[in-house]
Amino acid sequence: MVNLLYTELLKLKRAKMFMVSVTGAMAAPIMMFIAFLSMKREKPETILTFDVSFYNTNLNVLMLIGTLLYGVIAAYLFSREYTEDTLKNLLTIPVSKTSLIVSKWLLLLIWIFALTIVAWVMTLLLGLVGQFEGLSVAVIVDSLGQFFVGAFLLFLLSTPIIWITMLFKNFVPTIIFTAVVTMANLTVIDTDYQGLFPWSAVHMVVTNSAEFVYPISYSYAIIFATSVFGLAATIIYFRRSDID
Amino acid sequence: MTAVIQTTNLTKQYGTQKAVDSLQLNVKQGQIYGFLGRNGAGKTTTIRMLLGLVKPTEGQIEIFGENLFKHQKEILRRIGSMVEHSGFYENLTGKENLLINAKLMGVHKKTAIEEALEIVGLEQETKKLVGKYSMGMKQRLGIARAILHHPELLILDEPTNGLDPVGIKEVRRLIKSLAVERKLTVLISSHILSEVEQLADQIGIIHQGRLLEEVSFEELRTRNRNYMELQVSNDNKAAMLLEQHFEGVEYEAHGEGFLRIYSHMGQQGKLNKLLVEHDIEVTRIAISEDRLEDYFIKLIGGGTIG
Repeated sequence: MVNLLYTELLKLKRAKMFMVSVTGAMAAPIMMFIAFLSMKREKPETILTFDVSFYNTNLNVLMLIGTLLYGVIAAYLFSREYTEDTLKNLLTIPVSKTSLIVSKWLLLLIWIFALTIVAWVMTLLLGLVGQFEGLSVAVIVDSLGQFFVGAFLLFLLSTPIIWITMLFKNFVPTIIFTAVVTMANLTVIDTDYQGLFPWSAVHMVVTNSAEFVYPISYSYAIIFATSVFGLAATIIYFRRSDID
Repeated sequence: MTAVIQTTNLTKQYGTQKAVDSLQLNVKQGQIYGFLGRNGAGKTTTIRMLLGLVKPTEGQIEIFGENLFKHQKEILRRIGSMVEHSGFYENLTGKENLLINAKLMGVHKKTAIEEALEIVGLEQETKKLVGKYSMGMKQRLGIARAILHHPELLILDEPTNGLDPVGIKEVRRLIKSLAVERKLTVLISSHILSEVEQLADQIGIIHQGRLLEEVSFEELRTRNRNYMELQVSNDNKAAMLLEQHFEGVEYEAHGEGFLRIYSHMGQQGKLNKLLVEHDIEVTRIAISEDRLEDYFIKLIGGGTIG
């Protein structure tokens, strides 16, 4: 597994996708910062705080950018063996199909965490530049916890996206799927159903929202069930399919 | 000789169409086996089945005397392969691409990558990204990857596809020298007869998924006989005269005045005189040899190999 993970990292050498994803991860904090500046200009008496800044940025990542960006990264990692026609070489080495999926999934987790760090650091830096108030150890710990738990749950929810990528061996259906998920997030946000749709439920779990009408365990169950379904579907499909 | 690859009733069916139909393939140790057939004949599907990439609908595959499906991992470790065009990570150099394989194959010898690159003549291209490689360089890198772990069996699917004549010659020389120096058994597929002819000891001809013939080149050459080719003004009358005056004559009429006579070699003068005396104009008499290409065209029922 160590060798597989090493080779997965090596495959990213000089790959433009990593820098593109870093730029994508910086988008949420920058957009939030611009929104805050605009608010401050309209209402100069508004006090901008770090906890609100972290919360809003994370909300933006979890409900909008994260779903799309992490979906595209997952599609890139899993579809490139098909598009670059390298899968047959790996499997005749031989590399086990399950190990290959697991190594790529682990790399996806590392990548998502790296982008989470980028988004969090960027939020912090912009807050310092904008002279936001209320920076404390508690805010830092809470926000880091929320960012990473959210990132981990979105990582778990990458499995259906991976399955779709393997099924179509192409980027396009995956991008359409993640766009539909993002639209669904926007549709259910602030409704009673937010905790029941796996991707929007992530935000409910992360914030442990008190106003939620259903028990939070429902959200956990839906997220894990979706993840397990996606992973099982991916492994079963990949193990059974011919490499044409 | 021990069989390195042996298939029994190997079949792959897609829907109602059989891509490979009851194939009985026998590749013996130390042989260069030419797997010949037109595009779409079933060569690549067969090779993918031999490498465990495609599951057969029916039949068995034994490689090194072991069942492939029961011992796939152990068997594949002893095989080097290249299936159609070699796929590479284009953002990496050739050396980095081979490093991926070396790591996953457990090749610990530090010089293994350099040695493989040297064998295929790519040792100077260490900094060039594969995305900038020509087709010929990629095919050679594919061969380097296939031999990196010193396999006992090399399976190459159309390794010269898309190459220019110089590239074809280079790859052919490379395969030949590898087979000799490393005592490898090689299965090489192609739709180009001349390519296989210059390499292989044994050939298997596949057409519409079925193995039509498995024969050594030596036997094939002895089968191809010399003949006299005649072009005459009236082939029907000439044929009648042949039967009357040359006892036990073996001939074939090829239309438009062409006759091929497989017996009575050396009697061209007598034959010419006979035809002229019976007012048949003879415009051509030549001694020829049945070319292998003709043989294959006959075997697969017309058209060209490609």
